[in-house]
Amino acid sequence: MTARRRAAVPAFALAFALAFTLALPGGARAHKVVAAVYAEGRVIEGEVGFSNGDMAADADVVVTAPDGRELGRTRTDADGLFTFTPTEAVDHHFTANLGAGHVAQVTLPAADLPRGLAPGGAAPARMDSTPVAEAGASAALPPDLSEQIAAAVRREVKPLRKEIAAYRERNDLQAILGGIGYILGLFGLGFYLMARRRLNRDAP
Amino acid sequence: MHIVDGALSTPVVVAGAALAAGGIALGLRRLDMDRMPAAGVLSATFFVASLIHVPIGPSSVHLIMNGLAGIVLGWVAFPALFVGLVLQAVFFGFGGLTVLGVNTVTIALPAVLAALACRRGVTHPDARVAAVWGGLAGALSIALTTAAVALVLTLSGEAFVPAARLVFVAHLPVMAIEGLLTAAAVFLIHRVRPDLLGLFTRPAVAGEGA
Repeated sequence: MTARRRAAVPAFALAFALAFTLALPGGARAHKVVAAVYAEGRVIEGEVGFSNGDMAADADVVVTAPDGRELGRTRTDADGLFTFTPTEAVDHHFTANLGAGHVAQVTLPAADLPRGLAPGGAAPARMDSTPVAEAGASAALPPDLSEQIAAAVRREVKPLRKEIAAYRERNDLQAILGGIGYILGLFGLGFYLMARRRLNRDAP
Repeated sequence: MHIVDGALSTPVVVAGAALAAGGIALGLRRLDMDRMPAAGVLSATFFVASLIHVPIGPSSVHLIMNGLAGIVLGWVAFPALFVGLVLQAVFFGFGGLTVLGVNTVTIALPAVLAALACRRGVTHPDARVAAVWGGLAGALSIALTTAAVALVLTLSGEAFVPAARLVFVAHLPVMAIEGLLTAAAVFLIHRVRPDLLGLFTRPAVAGEGA
C-alpha cells in the first residue's frame, strides 16, 4: 500500500462532499432564523421566518423592554407576520421561540417607533423633529396623505427588504473555500509544530 | 442541528463550554502526527457537509457527518469538529459563538459514543461487516445528537418529549443518508487503509491490517 494511495482516501471524501454541495441547486442555504420589525402606522409590524424563505407560522412573540420587563405578547399569522401596538417609547426587543433551538431575536430602537408615544425615557428627541416638517405639508393636503405615502413606500420596499435578507444569508463559494482554507492552514500549522517538536526530540 | 445564540439558559451554556473544553483537551492530547491529516480532512468534511440540505416537508435539515469523525478520530473528533463549528459560525452564521461549547458537545460527544459502541464491528476483518457497523455508527451518532439537542433544550426550559420528537423526526432522512455515506466511507477505508480504523484504539506506530 503506497503512501500516495493512502492520502487519496480523505481527499476523495472531501472532493465528494464538495462536489455534492456544489451540485445541489439550493445546497448553500442556511437554516438560520431571520426576523425583521418596522413601524407601520401606529403599530409595529414584523416578520419571523427561516432564511430559506419559510415563514414561521403561529409562533409566540414576546416583547420586552430593555430592562427585561415584558411589554406584551403577540402571535405570528400563517405568513409569519405579526403586529404589536406599542404603548411606551422604549426599545422593543422581540423574541420568538420557533422550537428545536431556533430563536429569533430582533430589536426596534425607540427612535424608530411610531410617533406620538409617551416617552419612556429612551431617545424621544429624534421623534419630535419629524412631525414639525409634516405639519406644514399636511395643511393643504389630505391629513392622512403622509401615512398613505409611507404605507405605499413600505409596500414597494418589502420585496427589496426580503431580497436583501436572502442575499445576506447566501453562502457563496468564496466563503466555503475560505473556510476549507482556514482548516487546512490550521491543521497544517499543527502538523508543522508537531513535526518540529519531534525533530528537536530526535536530534538534539 | 446548531442551537443558536439566545436559545439556552446561561448555566447550560457555561456547562456546555466546560464539557467541550474538557473534550477538546482530551482530544488534543491524543492528537498525534499520524492522525493530524485525517483530523483536518474530517473537520473540513464536517464544515462542508452542513451546506448539504435535505428537504423534508416545508423545512430542511442538513447533513452533519459527525459519525465518520467519531469512527476515525475517536476523542480527536472534539477538536476537529470544534474547528468546523467555529468556522461555520463565523462564515455561515450557523449556531453562534456563545453556544459553541454546547454545540461541540451535542455533536462531538454522540459521535465518540456511537463509535465506541460500534468499535468492535467497525474493526471487523470483513469489510462488508465493518461497513454495516460503520453505517450503524453514523446513524446512531445522529440519533444521539438529536437526543442531546432535545436534552439541552429541556434543561433550558422546553418540554423534552415534543422537542425530542420534533428534532428526531426531522433528522430521520439525515440518519438514513449519513448511515449510507458512513458505511461507504468505512468500506473504502477498510479496503484502502485499514490502519486508519485501528488508530482508534492503539497509538499508531504501524498499521495492523497489512
